[in-house]
Amino acid sequence: MRHEEPHDAFIEVRDLVAHYDETLVLAGVSFAVRRGEVFVIVGGSGCGKTTLLKHMTGLLTPTSGAVYCSGQNITEMNEDELARMQRGIGIAFQSSGLFNSMTVGDNVALPLREYGGVEERLVQAIVRLKLSLVGLAGAEHMMPEELSGGMRKRAGLARAIALDPPVVYFDEPSAGLDPIIAAGLDDLILDLRGLLGITFVIVTHELDSIRKVADRLLMLDRGKEIFLGTLAEAEACDVGRVRQFFERRADEFIMPHGPR
Amino acid sequence: MTDTRLPCPGRLDGETGRTLHEKAEALAVRPGDRLVLEMSGTDSMDARGGAWVVAVADAVRARHGEFAYEGQRGEVADFMNLIGPGLVGAPSTAKSETGFFERVGETGLDWLGEFNEFVVLTVDTVYWTFIAPFEGKGFRWGLWADEVYEMGVRGVRINCLMNFLLGMIIAMLSAAQLEQFGAGILVADLVVIAFARELAAVMTATVVAARTGAAIAAELATMKVQEEIDALRGMGLNVAQFLVAPKVLALLLVMPCLAGLGMIAGLLGSAVWGVLVMGHPARLWYNETMAAAEMSDVFQGFLKTLVFAVMIVLIGCHNGLRVRGGSRGVGLMTTRAVVMDIFFIIVIDMIFASVFYYMLD
Repeated sequence: MRHEEPHDAFIEVRDLVAHYDETLVLAGVSFAVRRGEVFVIVGGSGCGKTTLLKHMTGLLTPTSGAVYCSGQNITEMNEDELARMQRGIGIAFQSSGLFNSMTVGDNVALPLREYGGVEERLVQAIVRLKLSLVGLAGAEHMMPEELSGGMRKRAGLARAIALDPPVVYFDEPSAGLDPIIAAGLDDLILDLRGLLGITFVIVTHELDSIRKVADRLLMLDRGKEIFLGTLAEAEACDVGRVRQFFERRADEFIMPHGPR
Repeated sequence: MTDTRLPCPGRLDGETGRTLHEKAEALAVRPGDRLVLEMSGTDSMDARGGAWVVAVADAVRARHGEFAYEGQRGEVADFMNLIGPGLVGAPSTAKSETGFFERVGETGLDWLGEFNEFVVLTVDTVYWTFIAPFEGKGFRWGLWADEVYEMGVRGVRINCLMNFLLGMIIAMLSAAQLEQFGAGILVADLVVIAFARELAAVMTATVVAARTGAAIAAELATMKVQEEIDALRGMGLNVAQFLVAPKVLALLLVMPCLAGLGMIAGLLGSAVWGVLVMGHPARLWYNETMAAAEMSDVFQGFLKTLVFAVMIVLIGCHNGLRVRGGSRGVGLMTTRAVVMDIFFIIVIDMIFASVFYYMLD
C-alpha cells in the first residue's frame, strides 16, 4: 500500500501512538503527505482525526512514534525549535481559533507583526490581500463575533496563510456550514492550492467535500488506519468500512427497516 | 448452567410487560443461568413493552445471568433488532471497584501532576516577565496598558468603597469596647495599624481575586475552549509570554496602588465614624492617626500585595488553562480559581504574619 519514495514525502508520520488520559486514541498510524497535494484525513466522529492533526502540528506530544516535517522529527524538538517549525505551517481550526479580543485584521496581522519583520504599511496590505483571497475583502475592522460561521472559517484560513506557509492544516472546513458555503470553502482550498502551491492536510467527514478536494486520503477507524490511497482507489476499495463510508451506510444493527 | 424459557405475551405493551417482568423476577435466575424469552407467540409490541424487555434483561444481568430471545417475527423482529444487541449475552463485567490505596495514590498523582503544571507555568512566567524583555525578546506593552486600565483604574471605585465600609465597621466595633475605658481616641491607632499591616492588603486582594482573578480564569478557559490557545501555540507563540506575563506585570503595579488607595479609604471610613458619630475633633483624630502610623507597618502590607498579585494571576491562568469540556468547564474553573485565590490569600497572610511576629517584634 505504501510505495512513496522518501524524497517526495513532505510530511511523514511513523507509527504514531497517542493516548488521551488512558484511552488509546491513535494505534500506530503511518503515512506520508506529498508536496502540493490535498491530503484528506477522514473517518467517523471520535476516530482520532483531530488528535492526529494536533500531533502533526506539534500541539500534542505522542506516546510514541515520530512526525517528520521536511525531514525533521518534530516530536524530538525543544520548545524553540518547535516554535520555529510552527511558523512555517498554517493551522485553521475547527472553531476558527480567532482571537475574540482583536479585529479580524489584527488577527491576520498577528503572525506578521510577531515574526515577519514586515513594515506596518505592508502588513496592512498583506492583511487586505489575504482577506480578499478568502473572499472577505473589507472585513478587517470587524470583530470575530460579528462574522458568520463560514466567514469565521475563512478568516481563520486567512490567518493561517498570513506568513505564506508551504503547508496548511485545516480541521473540519465544512463542519456546521450549509452545503453552499461548504462548497465555497472547498473551491477556495483548491484555488489556494493552485494559486499559491500550498499543500493542504484536511480533516473532514463530509463526503461531498472529500470527493471534491481530495487527491489522496487516509481513513481512520477507532485510531487505526484502514485505508491510504487516492480518491479513485478509495471509491473502488472493497474493505467493508471504507465502502460503508462512501455509500453512507449505517452500521447494521441500527437499521431495522433495511432490506430483508 | 440451565436455560429457563419464558413465553412472551401475544401483545407486549405496558401492562403485559409488567406481568412479564414479575414472572421473570419470580424465576430467580441464578448466576450463569440463561433466560430465553420465547417470542414466537408475540404479534405486536410497543415502546412501553420494549422498555419492559430491557428491564427484564437488566434484572437478569444484575443477577449475573444471561439474557437471550428467540422466535421473533415480523414487526416484533424489527423492533428487537433495534433494541436487542445491547441486551443479549453475558453480563458486562462492571468496572472493578478501586481500593482505598489506589484512590489515595490516584489523588496523590493528580495533585503532583497539577503541582508540576503550576511550577512549569510559574517558571515560564517568571522568565517571560522578568528576563526575556531584557534579552530583547519583546513584551506586549499595549496589552499591559489595557490590563492596567481594566484591573486597576476600573477597580478603584469598588475597592475604595469596600475598604471605606470596612474601616467604618472596625471603628464601630472597637469604639464600643474602647469607650468603656474612656479611650475612644485609640480607635484611630487601632484602625491605622490594622489597615497598614493587614486589612488593606487582604481586603484589596479579595476584591481583586473576585474581579480580576475570576476574569483571568474565565478568559483563558474560554480561549482554550474556543481553540484560541491552540491557535496561539500553533503559531509558535508562547502562552506565558503572550497572555500571562503582561497580566503579572500589570497586577504587580496595580495591586500596591489599589491597596494604598484602599488604606486611605479605610482610614477615611474610620474617621467618619470617629469624628461624626463619636464626636472627636477632626484635628485630634488626624494627629492621633499620623502618630500611630509606622512606615514599617505600611511596608509590611505592601510587600504582601506584591505576593498576592503574582499569586492571583498565576492561579487564574493555571485554572483557566486546565479547563476540560465546554461552557460548564469554564464555570467550574472560574469558581475553582476564586476559591483557591481566597484560600491562598489567607495562607500567605498567615505566613507573613508569623514571619513578622517572630522576626521583627
